Amino acid sequence: MKILVCISCVPDTTSKISFTEENKFNSENVQFIIGPYEDYALARAVELKEKNSDIDISLLNVGLSQNDPLLRKGLAIGADRAYRINSEPNDSNFVALNIADFIKKNNFDLILMGKESIDYNSGLVHYLSGSILDFQTFNPVIFLDLDTDNRVIIKRETDSGIEKIKANLPLILGCQEPIAEWKIPNMRGIMNARSKDLLVIEPISVSSSLKYEKFTLPPEKDEIKYIDKENIETLINELKLKNL
Amino acid sequence: MSTLVFIDLNKSKISESSAQAATIANQLDDKVYGLTTYNDDDYISSLGNKGFDKVFKIDDFKNFDAIKETIINHKINTIVSPNINLFKELASKISIKLNFSITSNVLEIVDNNSIISSIFTGKAESQINFDNENRIYLLNKNIIDSKEFDKKVDIIRIDSKISQKDNFEILDQTLIEEDISLNDADIVISAGRGLKGPENWKMIEELAKKLNAATACSKPVSDAGWRPHHEHVGQTGLKISPKIYFAIGISGAIQHLAGVNSSKTIIVINNDPDAPFFKAADYGIVGDAFEVIPKIINSLS
Repeated sequence: MKILVCISCVPDTTSKISFTEENKFNSENVQFIIGPYEDYALARAVELKEKNSDIDISLLNVGLSQNDPLLRKGLAIGADRAYRINSEPNDSNFVALNIADFIKKNNFDLILMGKESIDYNSGLVHYLSGSILDFQTFNPVIFLDLDTDNRVIIKRETDSGIEKIKANLPLILGCQEPIAEWKIPNMRGIMNARSKDLLVIEPISVSSSLKYEKFTLPPEKDEIKYIDKENIETLINELKLKNL
Repeated sequence: MSTLVFIDLNKSKISESSAQAATIANQLDDKVYGLTTYNDDDYISSLGNKGFDKVFKIDDFKNFDAIKETIINHKINTIVSPNINLFKELASKISIKLNFSITSNVLEIVDNNSIISSIFTGKAESQINFDNENRIYLLNKNIIDSKEFDKKVDIIRIDSKISQKDNFEILDQTLIEEDISLNDADIVISAGRGLKGPENWKMIEELAKKLNAATACSKPVSDAGWRPHHEHVGQTGLKISPKIYFAIGISGAIQHLAGVNSSKTIIVINNDPDAPFFKAADYGIVGDAFEVIPKIINSLS
């Protein structure tokens, strides 16, 4: 079985976000990580491979060469090879079209992504890729296991609860905890990763219909109002005044 | 050209998020259409007061061919929808198959050509400009108050057959047993490790009941199994934007803030005056939750 894990490379969750005077993301002093949701997806793929050695895991990122160390980290965690589509991930549509094109050329049974990337948060790349390829897409998936006859059992969260589903492949899944525990590469994995392939592919051209024009920080909050714990009514009155 | 709103239901009524989407749609267009799977004509007729002129009834949002035809036949070029997974999937399909530009986490529609979207999990915002007449706006909740309208609804039934068979089978469904869904709640009562153990959530639930609110928790609490995973709000959990967010015994790590920072009013209750959450709060009470919460419940009675 061929699994593709698509990862984003994003600022660490504790990062302070700022922008330069040229209106670009300010990456100074920012630590980049594999997106936390994709980190779960990769961990689950590696867990499945540990139980079934027929599984082959490819890793894919749309990004520039500064992401290579994170792809190497993914190889050290247990992916068999990595691909990088050599472009800034301009927008969801661009990323989805490039991923779908790659999948068409390389045939995968199971495509794992994160629920969303934590930089632009659109949470659309899995659905858009699924629409381009006419693959069934589930999101967010909190459980994944292999069943017989090339099928998988998954659990996904819906707006009203949780569904347990048996699905045929091919399939695209947007993953979320607790699908697996994050994995930390061990020394042997790190040594092995050095001899695994990291292949760079040029992107397909996409005419983009939207543009991230301007970045700003959210408006500052007003000063906090402290309420004396002996005078809780003040809080209730304040909320009533604001019509809340 | 016309504007379509996807109608999501909450307990057999239009969800507040869809009502807000309809209010926004009315700012963009005189005539606003809706799409629903709901079957009660009496109720659908009443949706004129939410701003609908015409509502299309369909069996299932999965009937893509019928939806596609409706969009083409009625010259729909703008779609406004709550940012929920059910509609994200449908919107993505429309975007790909009918060439619509799609944006999610929309905070504001600035003008005909641009919107503001929330990025970096609420830590920043971006203006996005379009070069396409066809757009889909997936709106964050509570970016506007829904308004009342005085319109008459035309109901149109779309006959449809599902063209494709599912290649999956639902084995089991577990419904979340809560009165108010976290996504749709105006008020959310959230608690963290400061509550010391799962047995202490009684007062949280009582307060939630008093305020008609949903309950939520921080990541360490759901990780420890004190509360179910679907209640976890934060960077890697659910992102919410209620009108009032109570944070009780939650220190306010940056990852938690990222999931709740777009709440309209944040009230922080913590016995540590240096808890970072106070910096993000509108109201703060420094005190022991076990002392303060019963007092709030009391003063609400």
